[in-house]
Amino acid sequence: MRSGASLNEGRNAVVGAEEADAPVGHWRLAWRGPLRGGAYSILVDRRALAAAGLLLSTLLVASLAYLALGSGTLSLFEVVAALAGHGDPMAAFLVQELRLPRLAAACLTGAAFGVAGCLMQTLARNRLATPGIIGIDNGATAFAVASVVGLGLSLAPSAMALAGATTAAALAFGLAAGGGTRGYRFIVAGIGVGAVFEAITQLLLAKVAIDTANAAYPWTVGSLNARPAGAVALLAVGLVLGMAAALWLSRALSLLRFSDSVASGFGVLVARRRWQVLAVSVMLTGLAVAVAGPVGMVGLIGPEIARSLSSPRGVPLVASALAGALVMVLSDLAGRVLLAPIEIPVGIITAVVGGPWLLWILLRPAKRNLA
Amino acid sequence: MSHYELATHDLTLRHGRATIIDRLALTLPVGKVTAIVGPNGCGKSTLLSGLARLHAPSQGEVLLDGRDIQRLPARELARRLALLPQEANAPEGLTVAELVRFGRQPHQGWLRQWSAEDQRVVREALAAADVIELAERPLDTLSGGQRQRAWIAMTIAQQTPLLLLDEPTSALDLGHQIEVFELVRRLAAGGRTVVVVLHDLVSACRYADHLLALRDGQLVAAGPPSEVVTVDLVRHLYDIECTLIQDPHTGSPLLANVRRAGRFGEAG
Repeated sequence: MRSGASLNEGRNAVVGAEEADAPVGHWRLAWRGPLRGGAYSILVDRRALAAAGLLLSTLLVASLAYLALGSGTLSLFEVVAALAGHGDPMAAFLVQELRLPRLAAACLTGAAFGVAGCLMQTLARNRLATPGIIGIDNGATAFAVASVVGLGLSLAPSAMALAGATTAAALAFGLAAGGGTRGYRFIVAGIGVGAVFEAITQLLLAKVAIDTANAAYPWTVGSLNARPAGAVALLAVGLVLGMAAALWLSRALSLLRFSDSVASGFGVLVARRRWQVLAVSVMLTGLAVAVAGPVGMVGLIGPEIARSLSSPRGVPLVASALAGALVMVLSDLAGRVLLAPIEIPVGIITAVVGGPWLLWILLRPAKRNLA
Repeated sequence: MSHYELATHDLTLRHGRATIIDRLALTLPVGKVTAIVGPNGCGKSTLLSGLARLHAPSQGEVLLDGRDIQRLPARELARRLALLPQEANAPEGLTVAELVRFGRQPHQGWLRQWSAEDQRVVREALAAADVIELAERPLDTLSGGQRQRAWIAMTIAQQTPLLLLDEPTSALDLGHQIEVFELVRRLAAGGRTVVVVLHDLVSACRYADHLLALRDGQLVAAGPPSEVVTVDLVRHLYDIECTLIQDPHTGSPLLANVRRAGRFGEAG
């Protein structure tokens, strides 16, 4: 008893912070610093950390498989040698020049779709409200296709996709007429907007020469095969900024899951935060669509996996990014190897998996607070 | 706990073009329970939203110790005033303790996520609302009364001198209502100013120190229940006739022989 007390005192003197027990499921890191009263503390959610760790290690394994499998199958040893720049020059070419850039694109787009989906779902307090379902993907696609088939515009696909994503979001929001980003009105308006943009995409493709239409076709189904130059780099920059913004918003986000009046009771500037979250989600969607087309199902599946692994204490942003990347990598890998040498676009794989998933969400017994 | 006085001056609240609260001037007594009563649609809940800054005034202002609350930083207001709205819903799967910890948000920051003070206040809030045994239970497994106490514990953890509750007993059976009302009394005894919107005039008379009676956005009576509740007031508010008797235990007014107004006058 006595020695325990002095041990605590000793730790207090070393760490210099006040004593508090970590809440259930957390680690508490406390230290003393120079500013604002001096006592600092950070909580680490153990479940969130475990989820991120699990997803990250699975992603690493999936990535190795992605690099090894395909038209020329390599052993794990050959992959590692090729990554290090040793071994067979052909294998090195296959890994470094063909598969690695495509893997990077898969990870980046998957992470962007995953985070964008998680943000939008939290914003609308509805797990069906992902950018893919409320038409933002389709808006971005229509604009990107327009720039490819040429309307006399020479804008880069990323810029066009961003403009399309913004337009679709603005339309869905405007047509929800005062309902805001909450409730079914926003989702229904978004589905309508998405249908219109999809029709525009088809119309554009029908009007141009067959070769031009073929060049633009990958966008309409979602593919990592034809990645516009520069779009991946832009996405990488956008993802870093978007992820930073999302993490900065994470405290407000976890409060936005409550009713608006409760959230503002906590001191959250609800209207302002909601615009910021919407902007980040739309930006990530636009940039990701510019690379891979509308693979919006990832925005539904990724956060769902993340949420099932995480605790309800917070919004699983990091886990959504990792789960989105994992879904994208596995789907593209399946698309490359299932019917090899024919390649199935990744958008078709995610739709085949995501369709039943969506049905399952709709058909299983309703849970509270999500309607 | 430091005291803050909440008052309104010339307060007008509108929904679109409809004026809900019309040029209201009132002061809420510090450290007391104030009940806002009135018929459906009289503007009770809108007034509470206005007091909590959820509804911006079209005219006039809400004053917290003489300062316009529209000018207060959001977090500062959240440390002075807590609100429990009617349609409070929480993320799926959250436990009682997790919900109550959210109440500490306005006192926390990126580098101040969990202090000994937070821990002490959360523990006290759980004890005050009598939900310690339920602390690790998910909210969706609780009864209505337990869940309402958990929500009130969350607002207690916010440690605000002012507490606004919007119909906290509306969905509860009598036993659970009494639990909530007694909790409200204990909070006021601890020095908090509590404002509660109520449907039930008898409960308001029994548990409130101060009554605000609203009709059509206007204040028709304000004061201690035993002084302001009259047969005329009840008729004016709810269009009913009644006989008022005194509760033999508390002395608060009770409604007896209640019937619709004008029913017996029609034939003559």
